[in-house]
Amino acid sequence: MAMGKPKSNRPSQGPLTRLLPLIAGGVVLGVLPALLPSYVQSIWTKFLIFAIFATSFDLVYGHAGLLSLGHAAFFGAGGYAVGVLMLHTGVTSFWIGLPLGVLTATLIAVLCGFISLRVSGMYFLLVTFALAQLLYSVAWNWLWVNSPGMQGIAGISLPDLGIPSFTWNTIYFYYLVLILFVICFYLVYRIMNSPFGYALRGIRESEIRMQCLGYNTWLYKFIIFVVTGAFAGVAGVLFAYFNRLISPFYLGVGTSFLPMCMVIIGGSGTLIGPVVGAMVIVFVEYFSSLVTPERWPLILGGAFVVAIMYARGGIIIYLVKVWERISNRYGSIED
Amino acid sequence: MEVFARNLLNGISFGMVLFLAGSGLSVVMGVMGITNLAHGALYMLGGYVGWTVAIHYGMNFWLAVFAGGLVSGLIGLTIERIFLRHLYKQPNEQVLLTFGFVYIITNLCIWIWGGRPRMQFASPALSGLLDIFGMPYPITRLMIIAIGLIVAIVLWWLQDRTRLGAIVRAGMDDKEMTTGLGINLERVSMFVFFLAAFVAGVAGVIGAQLMGVHSILGLDILLVALIVVIVGGMGSVQGSLLGGVLIGLIDTFGKSLFPQLAMFTMYLAMIIILLVKPSGILGRRI
Repeated sequence: MAMGKPKSNRPSQGPLTRLLPLIAGGVVLGVLPALLPSYVQSIWTKFLIFAIFATSFDLVYGHAGLLSLGHAAFFGAGGYAVGVLMLHTGVTSFWIGLPLGVLTATLIAVLCGFISLRVSGMYFLLVTFALAQLLYSVAWNWLWVNSPGMQGIAGISLPDLGIPSFTWNTIYFYYLVLILFVICFYLVYRIMNSPFGYALRGIRESEIRMQCLGYNTWLYKFIIFVVTGAFAGVAGVLFAYFNRLISPFYLGVGTSFLPMCMVIIGGSGTLIGPVVGAMVIVFVEYFSSLVTPERWPLILGGAFVVAIMYARGGIIIYLVKVWERISNRYGSIED
Repeated sequence: MEVFARNLLNGISFGMVLFLAGSGLSVVMGVMGITNLAHGALYMLGGYVGWTVAIHYGMNFWLAVFAGGLVSGLIGLTIERIFLRHLYKQPNEQVLLTFGFVYIITNLCIWIWGGRPRMQFASPALSGLLDIFGMPYPITRLMIIAIGLIVAIVLWWLQDRTRLGAIVRAGMDDKEMTTGLGINLERVSMFVFFLAAFVAGVAGVIGAQLMGVHSILGLDILLVALIVVIVGGMGSVQGSLLGGVLIGLIDTFGKSLFPQLAMFTMYLAMIIILLVKPSGILGRRI
């Protein structure tokens, strides 16, 4: 497992070399979509939503080393909270929907964490899988969380921001998602680089050693499990608004597979890897849906297997290598 | 009383299918330390192959059982030889890799056999009813119980009473020492993995008599097989047999006594077992 920060601590990096990736990211995410046609904007939106989802999965898998097969439970819970709110009370306010979705996802994560963190290793995986499927069958059978006559909630409208005479279009929604993405990304960055984040990586490498050093490893794992549940809830809320439909599928293992793919293909344990992975998966999915939609799972599975066998560090390793070569060549000029 | 007896037999026969589906998973997991999430997909593949041989070509049912097992076994062996072999002692990577194969195998099955679900099928010789103390009962279900028991005895014998089983257990405890004694452990693990995938394929054809075959089966069966392994405890044949029959009975009686909770009884049983004894009822170790 190639882990740790793939960042060179070379002292010769000038300010421009350090700022350039940020500026490039800002242009790609902030400016470029505004210039593109609206259907591309909506793919970009989907990519950012899944980037939040994948980043949250990477926090629990790449940093704490907890492989969960039920991460979609929190994603779907956030989406269902928004859907049920709209279905039963007609409230569409963003300022109620988002906190409610995140709260629901967090509560579900607390419950799942209490049950699944009693065990470790393989058993953890099995229990998270089973709990997510349990939620799936609850959502399937419980009429209260379904629109009449169907499985799931349809017709979720875009959120009401409380701004008078404001109408949505694709790019405005994109910028809303972008703002939340930046907030989540920054929070994850802070968590990663805090003493808490270092302790998590210590637990991943050797839990017994951390226990000997006096850490309450259970509590650390529990906290990160719940925190990532909340982040996945943010992604779920945005996805429900974006997709206009939430169904039991978004709680199940099929949805849990997506962030796993994104993290592995992008590079786990890195901050930017899951974002790159989300971009690749969402865009390849779009193009394959144009050519052979029914073969998409095969392509996804194949890419996933190849990434695990032959490119364990993910795409991000190659990006970092290219970047280092560029900054080595031109970095000294700016100093 | 008759309802009770019927439920009991239904539960045991369903439990035997669960045992067949879970035993290979449990042995590979507990003895070789490999988590093979593609196990359910191999079960489904066996079911489809069995359907092709028995219904599409109208051949002997037992030939279909064997063909289903063989195809699943060979595909499983291929996955082990080409991919999993390089991932020993890396549980997270094994899980991710085999999870990828669930998607690949499922999609290939849809490609070959189409999305249409296949109905239950059985050998004409086995369809019909048998009187048990005045209660007519389908022969297929009795046959499933018999096959389950035979497979359980054979696997138990292999595990506890043969040199092969002893080698496998020794290899898991101390790989270096076992190979140092001149034992070709690679070949033994190949055989165990093939056997587990073979049993999964056989289970697919046997289980198709009760549930048919469809393309979501890969994940459905994986889930119940994992629950069986959790409840029974991993790594032993006895554990999977107990877990399978227990879950089969809980599911069947749950469906007839509390129909509104039908989908949850299995999970509740699993959660209770985990809270009381996390290593499973007959589990060796965590």
